[in-house]
Amino acid sequence: MNKLLFKDIDEPGLNTIDVYRRRGGYEQLRRALSMPREAVLNELLASGLRGRGGAGFAMGKKISFLPKGALDIYLCCNADESEPGTFKDRELMQKNPHMLIEGIIIAAYAAGANKSFIYIRGEYVLQADILDAAVLEAERAGFLGENILGSDHRLSLVVHRGAGAYICGEETALLDSLEGKRGNPRLKPPFPANQGLYQGPTLINNVETLATVPAIMGMGGDAYAKLGTETSTGTKLVSVSGHVKRPGNYEIELGVSSREIIYGLAGGPPEGRSVKLWFPGGSSSPVLTGDDLDLAYDFDTMAKAGSMLGSGAIIVVDDQTSVVDVAYKTAYFYRHESCGKCTPCREGTNWTVKMLERMKAGEATPMDLDIIASVCDNIIGHCLCVLGDAMAMPVGSMVAKFRDEFEEYIEARRQESYLGTADPEPELALIQGAVA
Amino acid sequence: MITFSIDGREVQSPENLMLVDAAKYGDVEIPVFCYEPKLGNPVGACRMCLVEIEGIPKLQTGCSTPVKDGMVVHTQNTRVHEAQEAVVEFLLINHPLDCPVCDKGGECPLQDISFGWGGGRSRFIEPKRHFQKPLELSPLIAIDRERCILCYRCVRYSQEVAEDYQLVLQERGAASYVATFDGHPYVAPFSGNIIELCPVGALTSRPYRFRARPWDIEGSGSVCTMCPGQCNVTFTVRDDRVLRVLQRDNAEVDDGWLCDRGRFAYQAIHVDERVTSPMVRGQDGQLVPVSWDRALSEAAAGLTAAGSAVGALAGSGTTNEEGFLVQRIVREALGSRDLDSQRAPVSRDALLAISDPALQATVPDLEFAHAVLVLDTEPVDDMAILDLRIRKGVRRNHVKLAIASARPSSLDANAAASVRFAPGAGPAFAAELVSAAKGEPSSDDARSIVALLREAGEDVVILASERVGVALAALADALGLRDRAGAGLLVVPSSANGRGLREVGFLPDAGPGLSPVAEPGRHAGQIAEAAATGDITALWLLGIDPLRDLPYRLRWEQALSRAATVIAHTNFLTEGIRDHATVVFPAEAYAEKDGTLTHPDGRLQRVRPAIGHSGAGRYGWQVLTDLGTRVGLHVPRVLTSGIALAQLAQAVPFYAGITQDEIGGRGIRWQERPAASAFPAPAPASVNVSPAPRVGPSAPASGLRLGTFRSIWASPEVEHSPALAFLRPRQKIEMAPSDADRLGLGDGQRVLVSNNGTQVSATVALRQAIPAGSVFLQDGLAEDSANVLTGSIVEVRRA
Amino acid sequence: MAEVRRFEHGSRVPGWDASVDLRKDPAGVPDPATTPVPAELRAEIEAQMAKYPDFRSAALPALAAVQRHHGWCSPEGIEQAACVMRLTPGYLTAVATFYDMFDTVPTGRNRVYVCTNISCSLRGADELCHRIEQLTADDADIQVKHFECLGACDIAPMVSVNGIYVGPVELDEVDELIDDVRNDRDPLPRKQLRLRPSADTLPMGDGQ
Ligand SMILES: Cc1cc2nc3c(=O)[nH]c(=O)nc-3n(C[C@H](O)[C@H](O)[C@H](O)COP(=O)(O)O)c2cc1C
Ligand code: SF4
Ligand code: FES
Repeated sequence: MNKLLFKDIDEPGLNTIDVYRRRGGYEQLRRALSMPREAVLNELLASGLRGRGGAGFAMGKKISFLPKGALDIYLCCNADESEPGTFKDRELMQKNPHMLIEGIIIAAYAAGANKSFIYIRGEYVLQADILDAAVLEAERAGFLGENILGSDHRLSLVVHRGAGAYICGEETALLDSLEGKRGNPRLKPPFPANQGLYQGPTLINNVETLATVPAIMGMGGDAYAKLGTETSTGTKLVSVSGHVKRPGNYEIELGVSSREIIYGLAGGPPEGRSVKLWFPGGSSSPVLTGDDLDLAYDFDTMAKAGSMLGSGAIIVVDDQTSVVDVAYKTAYFYRHESCGKCTPCREGTNWTVKMLERMKAGEATPMDLDIIASVCDNIIGHCLCVLGDAMAMPVGSMVAKFRDEFEEYIEARRQESYLGTADPEPELALIQGAVA
Repeated sequence: MITFSIDGREVQSPENLMLVDAAKYGDVEIPVFCYEPKLGNPVGACRMCLVEIEGIPKLQTGCSTPVKDGMVVHTQNTRVHEAQEAVVEFLLINHPLDCPVCDKGGECPLQDISFGWGGGRSRFIEPKRHFQKPLELSPLIAIDRERCILCYRCVRYSQEVAEDYQLVLQERGAASYVATFDGHPYVAPFSGNIIELCPVGALTSRPYRFRARPWDIEGSGSVCTMCPGQCNVTFTVRDDRVLRVLQRDNAEVDDGWLCDRGRFAYQAIHVDERVTSPMVRGQDGQLVPVSWDRALSEAAAGLTAAGSAVGALAGSGTTNEEGFLVQRIVREALGSRDLDSQRAPVSRDALLAISDPALQATVPDLEFAHAVLVLDTEPVDDMAILDLRIRKGVRRNHVKLAIASARPSSLDANAAASVRFAPGAGPAFAAELVSAAKGEPSSDDARSIVALLREAGEDVVILASERVGVALAALADALGLRDRAGAGLLVVPSSANGRGLREVGFLPDAGPGLSPVAEPGRHAGQIAEAAATGDITALWLLGIDPLRDLPYRLRWEQALSRAATVIAHTNFLTEGIRDHATVVFPAEAYAEKDGTLTHPDGRLQRVRPAIGHSGAGRYGWQVLTDLGTRVGLHVPRVLTSGIALAQLAQAVPFYAGITQDEIGGRGIRWQERPAASAFPAPAPASVNVSPAPRVGPSAPASGLRLGTFRSIWASPEVEHSPALAFLRPRQKIEMAPSDADRLGLGDGQRVLVSNNGTQVSATVALRQAIPAGSVFLQDGLAEDSANVLTGSIVEVRRA
Repeated sequence: MAEVRRFEHGSRVPGWDASVDLRKDPAGVPDPATTPVPAELRAEIEAQMAKYPDFRSAALPALAAVQRHHGWCSPEGIEQAACVMRLTPGYLTAVATFYDMFDTVPTGRNRVYVCTNISCSLRGADELCHRIEQLTADDADIQVKHFECLGACDIAPMVSVNGIYVGPVELDEVDELIDDVRNDRDPLPRKQLRLRPSADTLPMGDGQ
């Protein structure tokens, strides 16, 4: 298959500028700079490249929303990669940082941006160090700074390290965090394209999205659009994890069957087990079941199946695992990561976790399932950003699709709790007020 | 106006109003928690205001969606109801529902909204979030974190209105809580506003807690008389006692905020130390309570005996009516010319020039001007509420702020330019600004400020201390501010009703309406000298204790001891009065007063009694008419404060015809009334300013330059309010680290500051921003006040 | 605090003042004259501030610098950063407590983050975390935190040791891992993510 992002990914030294250039790196930048901005943008539009960060919005279109004029335009590369199950950007940045940097410079050229930032999650220490070194190399080589390669394009690039907060992957929270604040999402509108970083127009794209740009420039937008399906063009990195034999990142052409990814590439669940459920696009996506394995893996098919492609992270759960545990882990994660700004998300995730804890302690009744379902409904569509929905959708889908199992579990745990064998009661979250 | 549809009805409203506000035009209420336009742009956090807009798939927040022509909005269908019910349910999950023991009960938006929009049932059986409760957030504010619904109002206030950034949200998600850094108290000049902002009982006033229920109390509108800001307030009254002060939003005056002195110093109304009965000094030298008759006759005897050797001073909360009556008694009945209401003399000519209606700016102008120059005044101390207004202008409207002062300003961080001059050099620097504005040779500092103001635009507001004087008018003219709406001067007087007192003629060189007098009398400093030498034998003090409030404390001690008669109208026996007064009349607390004040921008405002007089107290105008009659003033009897106002309105041509009704609840600027044309024209020559060489803030040859300032907290009301007592300032000497190094001093050390044989002790407070060579001490303190010192250069040594 | 007088007309709430500690001053922007800042820390923060169009963007890097310098985001350290940045310590505390990687209570010098999110827990992370916690319970030098997805589900169950990712960590490797941490050795070198080839380039069927 055509590898664009992972071509020779393990080649030794690929993270250095010398090796990258020896393989033709930064040539696409040179070519792009020799073209008018509009022509570069047209290639991106023609490629049909959709954002790889979760929402799947067409990248070229996003650029075309930016206002033209003398304003400072910013570009932010979203390298927060915190969606559970997602680890593709990590491998890209670690092994081929210059491809990302080249993509950023080209995209900034097309967008008219002259200040750019990579917001990388703080936990990725190795990758951030590698990026820092690569940025320095690119600056020295004249790919960043004033008059890049003799053109009038100028660009600064700062690698900004986060400090552990999933919500900072949400684009407006990322901006607040980058401005040195708590990472709370902002009200939209205004959208970042109009008022983003420091109130200026801002383009925000995922690492993978930006890293794909040089490849598109290389083969041409039209050729790129021929890969994949009509509405999900190109190749995509898929992170497969959970109950599979070969967890890892795989570059696939969009539209291949999901079974091919889970079984063919990742080896499927261990011998003798089968797929009970899977998250097709990170933990925020409503779960699919073993019956859905033959669905084509692309944006539209996933959406039609009631889920989403999201960040392209497949988490496989086998038949030996209790769906209640998965629901609990999922809800627990979102409660931990809710920024607390808006009510439904802050309180709804908290409530859901507490109900699931009660379930595990053998103190729930099937009526609690109705309450969970209703709480999830009350969250969806009512929040400031979609983090709340990101819990409510998968947890809601688990309750809907595995109601019988939930009920059995509740009953079994109740029995155990009568017999005194259930988990000890969950610890009450007693938060002592700080000395005011 | 546009037309939109809400719940099936066509409603007209201005375009781009947020839906929650536009809905009110159709009498539709959309519930809100986090929305509060005073805090800036909507944040859309609480999600209480979700409504359905046709054509938009998701429900939208009414607080952040501007209304457009033809919009079709639904607030009453099942979908919206369910969403709103869900939000109420979510909010109540962690709320303790301890309404029976909550101070907010009965006036709580959360109660109202739960009732109006909630589901009325609870499905939440999990343990709730627990915090220790209640805790002090400061000595003034209690925080009950269990009740907090995390609406962000208080922290937004701290960050975006007060800009003190002390109150913040800590942690994340459901574990978030409102707190301060490392357990420091939230103490700031404007902290109390968060109590009123909090839509639940999470932030409550410690002095008010558990003192009343909403059905026990009445609200009574008046004006705070503690500083020239004259913020509009509502007194919460129960059983004829003031139990609380709330803001009474007047965008022209206070923008709906109060400072903590204005909010909490009401406590001083009901303390034991209040003077509530007339007193005279007995044989044993002690002040003893006596009947009104006795006190009035002693006072009358003293005044009559002194005759024209009477000196009268007025300060703080003296109303226009009181000032007017006293100046009549002094001038007409006693034949004295010696009366003053200013801390430092400003001549009639200068006052005419700077009060010229063509040069006046208003408070809201600070917010919308192109540029604001703060000159020789520190708003937070001198006219507190303006501090917030200036910050707002800079923050929201990008007003360019320039500051020229001796002492570093708390607004420096917001300023586009800040320059320092030597203490006392305000007028000289103003003269430099005039030269700079006229293109004459001037200093770099002055030129840069003028350039900044000019570049910003035509609308410039100059906020300056009264003591800068006549140069202000020259500067306003040189900058072309005459007759320009939205620009001009805002002059901060030295006492709360300073402008009113001078306009009713409480000046040595001007009568009512700033009319000329045949022969000028003595100003305050000269009165002190005359009394010290025996030329003046009776001193009459209205709301002022010269030992506290005026310079040259030692001279005043001599004056007060020597005077045969010292009559004081006061609330508290501060040291000068305690030790020297021969007759003491209980002054009214501001909640007892009836009269008018004039705001520095010319707005006449009514002070209205909320409670009856404490003890034997009487109306000020009543006491003064009685006294006047006894010393032979021939006036028609004053029977009500309205009559007092009518008399003064006759005497002050530019107040002509004003009545209490016309002033009403919001006040009225006299400049906006037809009578304003009667304002006397200033003498043209007076506006000429000859620049004096300015002393830069550089170090003097020996010693250190002394600057003084009076903190917002330096007032007897603060001392006597139990809740505020902790803020009562102690003397400290602010100095630059380099000076301290040179003198071998460190932060927190006790030192003696001395000159001309006088000295005060103080604690060293190192501040990086203090210009080397200058030090600053506080005035207005009970002990170690800077007015003990007499010169401008001091020595500092270890105590 | 000055003695608070009773109102003549009402009592104060009993016990109300029990938890008052008003000895502290309000926390405004620290004055450079009274806030000593280590030169190294100052230089680092100032360099970060220079990188951004708005100096406030350096809040996260500044807190990270404080944490490196003091071992945690101590009040003292936060005050120092606030002093350099001309912000209030409250502002920086609000930021610091929002992010999982900043420690606002004193903590061990070694930070061991165990991922217990979905993919890792499907592969035994909860037991692993439990085991590590047990083993280090009384080691004040080691901070063990269970973390949400660290972005390395391909090596689940995984652990980040002072930023170095290792995994999959078998239960019987925990002793060795903790031993490495205690002795400042490279943790489980053979299991470090940095050395792992891409799954995509491996011949089929070569997984674990
Ligand atoms: C709660 C939440 C977390 C997100 N986390 C990430 C992330 O870690 N990385 C990412 O690239 N996008 C993330 N996104 C999506 C971004 O908001 C945004 O859509 C994306 O960065 C845009 O880039 P793209 O168009 O290239 O996909 C997240 C969104 C939400 C709502
Ligand atoms: S304390 Fe009150 S104002 Fe502050 S966030 Fe909580 S509910 Fe809102
Ligand atoms: S009032 Fe609209 S979201 Fe809070």
